[in-house]
Amino acid sequence: MALRFALIAAGLALASPGHAQDQIQVVTTTTDLRSLTEAVGGERVATVSLVPPNMDAEEYQPKPQDVLRLKNAHMLVRVGLDYDLWVDRLLAQAGKLEITRGGPGYVDASFAIAVLELRGMSVGPGDGHAHGSGNPHYWLDPKNAEIITGTILEALARIDPANAASYEANRLAFLARLKAKLAEWEATLAPLKGMPIVAYHNSWPYFARRFRLDFFAFIETKPGVPPSPSHLAGIVQTMHARGVRIVVREPHEPERDVAFVANKAGASIVTLAASVGALPRTGDYISLFDANVEALTLAATKR
Amino acid sequence: MIEPLLFLWPAFLAAVCLVGIHAYFGIQVLARKVIFVDLALAQIAALGATVAFMLGHPAQSVATYGYSLAFTLLAAVLLAFTRAWGTRVPQEALIGVIYVVAAAAAVLLIDRAPQGAEHLKQILTGNILTSGYNEVAVIVPLYAAVGLLHWLLRRRLTGTEPLIWDFVFYASFGVVVTSSVAIAGVLLVFSFLIIPAAIGVMFASSLARQLAIGWIVGTVISAAGLAASFAFDLPTGAAMVCAFGAALAVAGLLYPFLRGNRQSAWRVAIATARWTGAAILVGSALQLAAAPRADQPLIDLVEYAVPSLRALYFTRAEQTTFAEAAEYAERYRREADQLNDVERRNRTEGNAFDDFRVARISSFLKSYGEMRKGEQFVMGEVRARARERVRWGASVCLLALALLFAPVRWRRLWARVPR
Repeated sequence: MALRFALIAAGLALASPGHAQDQIQVVTTTTDLRSLTEAVGGERVATVSLVPPNMDAEEYQPKPQDVLRLKNAHMLVRVGLDYDLWVDRLLAQAGKLEITRGGPGYVDASFAIAVLELRGMSVGPGDGHAHGSGNPHYWLDPKNAEIITGTILEALARIDPANAASYEANRLAFLARLKAKLAEWEATLAPLKGMPIVAYHNSWPYFARRFRLDFFAFIETKPGVPPSPSHLAGIVQTMHARGVRIVVREPHEPERDVAFVANKAGASIVTLAASVGALPRTGDYISLFDANVEALTLAATKR
Repeated sequence: MIEPLLFLWPAFLAAVCLVGIHAYFGIQVLARKVIFVDLALAQIAALGATVAFMLGHPAQSVATYGYSLAFTLLAAVLLAFTRAWGTRVPQEALIGVIYVVAAAAAVLLIDRAPQGAEHLKQILTGNILTSGYNEVAVIVPLYAAVGLLHWLLRRRLTGTEPLIWDFVFYASFGVVVTSSVAIAGVLLVFSFLIIPAAIGVMFASSLARQLAIGWIVGTVISAAGLAASFAFDLPTGAAMVCAFGAALAVAGLLYPFLRGNRQSAWRVAIATARWTGAAILVGSALQLAAAPRADQPLIDLVEYAVPSLRALYFTRAEQTTFAEAAEYAERYRREADQLNDVERRNRTEGNAFDDFRVARISSFLKSYGEMRKGEQFVMGEVRARARERVRWGASVCLLALALLFAPVRWRRLWARVPR
């Protein structure tokens, strides 16, 4: 195993970049992690995301091709925190030790993230997640990209030590760009500080924490269960009381239920992308935030 | 405060409209023995919409509706022509095949365009709670037109006339189902279709009376389901479907009393209830004796209703341990909730916590979760041990109770015992 791995690493180190076969094949579960891996790996890695953009990764149903993709991969990057549990079964099927848990090519991107809304192992009340590992949407805090890319860099350097320096340079360049952008986003969203917002699904705590927004209620209380009338009535009542003007919906979430709540409370609907590629003009990690920040400010200043 | 009535009113109106047309179609569907035809037609309509979506038409466009309608009409032709099958293969078989193939074909199409997944889901899982007056305004004229058409053609749509009339039946039904499923979802539409009609058919023989019973029953149950969903904080569609199911069960129980010999109905009902009770008690006794550590549904249920019953078989020490563990578990839960609340408020109030602070909070939360799990384990263990201790005595008691419950004539048996 170690020998085989060393051979691969040596082979990769000797190979010149540019040929598709010589690139490091990385499989990520989501498009967000793909974008971040590309930012670190640059041209030396070929990254593919198992979940297509604009699909709910929590409900993804793997396809036979996915096993093949894993079999050909040198590295797997997953979200973790029970978000992409389906990848465990795929990994067992692919049977490739180097990218299974404990292997050098296995990356759980949630490593070292400060997790929010952890509820022990018990099922928390009405926060829209049926698992106790904490809220898994941590990539929506741009600062967490620092940690995620760090974890990815470490794994890439392990697999391909010869190019570690170039990966590190890529990452630093990306972080510098991100830092400038973050300052810009924070400045743009500063007038919205503390603004009360209702969302369909609880995807936004990390985003809210970074940009000081108040996502205080969610239309969906448990995944897959339609909201009860008293829950909706309560939300509408609070929205009236607090003067909420924005209801956030992701593109894959039911329009009808969101429109119902927004109409009752006289708020407008903003469609935000929780993942790279979920909306047009969200092709990579940075443009994802660009688009969301723009959509939010537009909605907030509309009236 | 928003009046619950105002909140539920549009949903109730929509339900009344849906019951109005579906109770009628339900009676027809029951007579033709094509029970699941609505599922097949809804799925076909969804497939048509998916095709339109794939070709680049927006969700609420005329083109999309046209594709839905065209697919539904094609299915109607198929359904009309297969009436003749009935002698060899039941028509339900074909209906089932249409349903699964349409569903599978839609999945295949969506695989090529992931953004269609949510679209397909929306077509098939409406939520009646979020229906508005605009939707009611669309379906009222549509259903009225279909109803009028059926009234005018009432002599032709009996299911025994030439096939063209069957086609008219399935086509008009398809038009109705396509709109109703988008409003209420397949589960609820199926309940609207079958249950009021079944209750009507059960208690009346003329179409007019069956319809009247179906309409009244359907309206009342819809109101009850909506009210229950508000009062008990339940998802509306599911609550209404269960209300309809309960109503059918009640109707089934009442049927022998209203239609048959009342005395024998009582006798059968009481005997059934006693045998069921006895069977449950014997089962619980055996379960307790054989596997005292496993779940004991009956005992758990009774203890849940009357927690003080535990005092009957817990020792004093066990009672204290159990109560303390319960108290600690609750305390950990409260502490964790408080911490979560602090973090949540800090997102907008005061100085933002740094990552270190947040990580500390989440590690505390993790510990609280583990500790709470530990306390719950203690509670389960104490209870399991107590049950293990008393299992033989308690099982014998349950068996004795079962004997009392069972409708066996003890006196006559006693007299027969040879002495």
